[in-house]
Amino acid sequence: MSSGVEHTDTHAEGGFDAGELIIGHVSNSSSEHPILHLPTILGIDFSVTKHVLMLWIVATLVFIAITWTVRRYLRQENPVPTGFMNVIEAVVQFIRDSIVLPNVGKKYLFTWTPLILTFFFFIISANAIGLIPIFDVVGAINRFILGGSAHDHGLVNNLLHGGATATGNYNVTAGLATITFFAIIFAGSKTHGFIQHWKNIVPSGFAWPIYVLLIPIEIISLFVRPFALTMRLAANMTGGHIAILAIISFVFIFAGVFQSAIAGIGVGVLVSVPLAVAISGLEIIVVIVQAYVFTMLSAVFIGMAINVHH
Amino acid sequence: MIRLNQISNSFTYLQKIVRQSGPAMSASYSLIAAVILLGVLGYLIDKWQNSSPVFLLCGLLIGLVVGFYEIAKIIWGNKNK
Repeated sequence: MSSGVEHTDTHAEGGFDAGELIIGHVSNSSSEHPILHLPTILGIDFSVTKHVLMLWIVATLVFIAITWTVRRYLRQENPVPTGFMNVIEAVVQFIRDSIVLPNVGKKYLFTWTPLILTFFFFIISANAIGLIPIFDVVGAINRFILGGSAHDHGLVNNLLHGGATATGNYNVTAGLATITFFAIIFAGSKTHGFIQHWKNIVPSGFAWPIYVLLIPIEIISLFVRPFALTMRLAANMTGGHIAILAIISFVFIFAGVFQSAIAGIGVGVLVSVPLAVAISGLEIIVVIVQAYVFTMLSAVFIGMAINVHH
Repeated sequence: MIRLNQISNSFTYLQKIVRQSGPAMSASYSLIAAVILLGVLGYLIDKWQNSSPVFLLCGLLIGLVVGFYEIAKIIWGNKNK
C-alpha cells in the first residue's frame, strides 16, 4: 500500500498531493491544537483529539444502546426478545458458545464471557462507525453549504478533517491488547495460583539446558501476543481506508497529468468509484471479521493460560 | 432450493472450522508479530549503538525462532491429542 501512496505522490501535479491527503485523513489530529484542552498528568496529555473524540462517541453509544436495550428487555413480562434485543441475544449466544466455551471451558465461562463480549461490541462498533464518513460530510457541508474556505484554520479544517476510525489508531488497539495481556495473567493466576501460572508458561519435563532457551522464548512470546493483536487490528482498519483514498486520488492525479477534467472524471467513473465501492463492500466484511478475530484470539490466549497442556 | 436446515448446518460447520482454527490463527499471527517486534527492536538498538545491522539481524533471527516455536507448540499439541 505504501508503494501505491508513493506512486501517487510522485505523480501528483497541479498542487494535488495524494500522500498528504491520505495521511491527513487517516491520521489523528494534531495534539498541539486539540479539540478540548485538558491538563497533562504524569507526562500524559489528556487533551481530546479527533480519535479520542471518536473513542468517547463509540464508548457512549455502545454503553447506552446495550444497557438501554437489555434493561428494557428485563423489565418486560414477555420473555421473547424483540427488535435490537434479538441481535444482542444472537451475538451473545454466538460469542459464548462458539468463542468462549471451546477456548476457556465450562468452569470459567461466565467469568470471561463479559470481557470478550465487551471487546466484541466495542470493536465492531468502532470499526463500523469509522466506515461512516462523518467528518468528510461535515467538511463538505462547511465548504459548499456554509461557504467556508478550504484553507481557514477553523475547527472543521484543522481538527475534524477526514475519517476517523478509533480502532485505526495504534494507541487504542494497544490499550485493548493491554487489557488482554493482564487478563491472561489474571486468568492463569486465578486458576493455578500466581507462582504456578508463571511455572506453567514453560513446558515441564525437559533437561535444564533446554530451559535456558525456552524461558526467554516464552517471555518474548508473552509480549508478542498482545503486540500481534495491536498491529493486526489497527493495520487492517487503516489499510482499507488508505486503499479507498488512494483509488479516489486517481481522479485528481489523472486530471492533473492530462490537464483535463474529462480525463479525471473518466477515470473516476470507470475505475475509481466502482473500485472504491467494491473495497467499501469488502470493508464491511473486514469490520466484522476483525472484531471477531480480536475476540477469538483474546479467548484463545486466556484459554491457554487456564487450560495448560504440556 | 436451499432449505433452512441446510443453512443452519452450514453455519454449524463454519463455527466448528473457525473454532478449530483459533490456535493456528494465533500461532501464525505470533510468527509475523515476533519478526516485526524484534526486528524493530534490533533496528532501534542498531540506531542507538551505531552497530547496523548486527542487532537487526539478531532481532529478525530471534523473531523467527519465537514465531516458529509458537507454531511447533500447536503442531506438537495436536499430535499428542
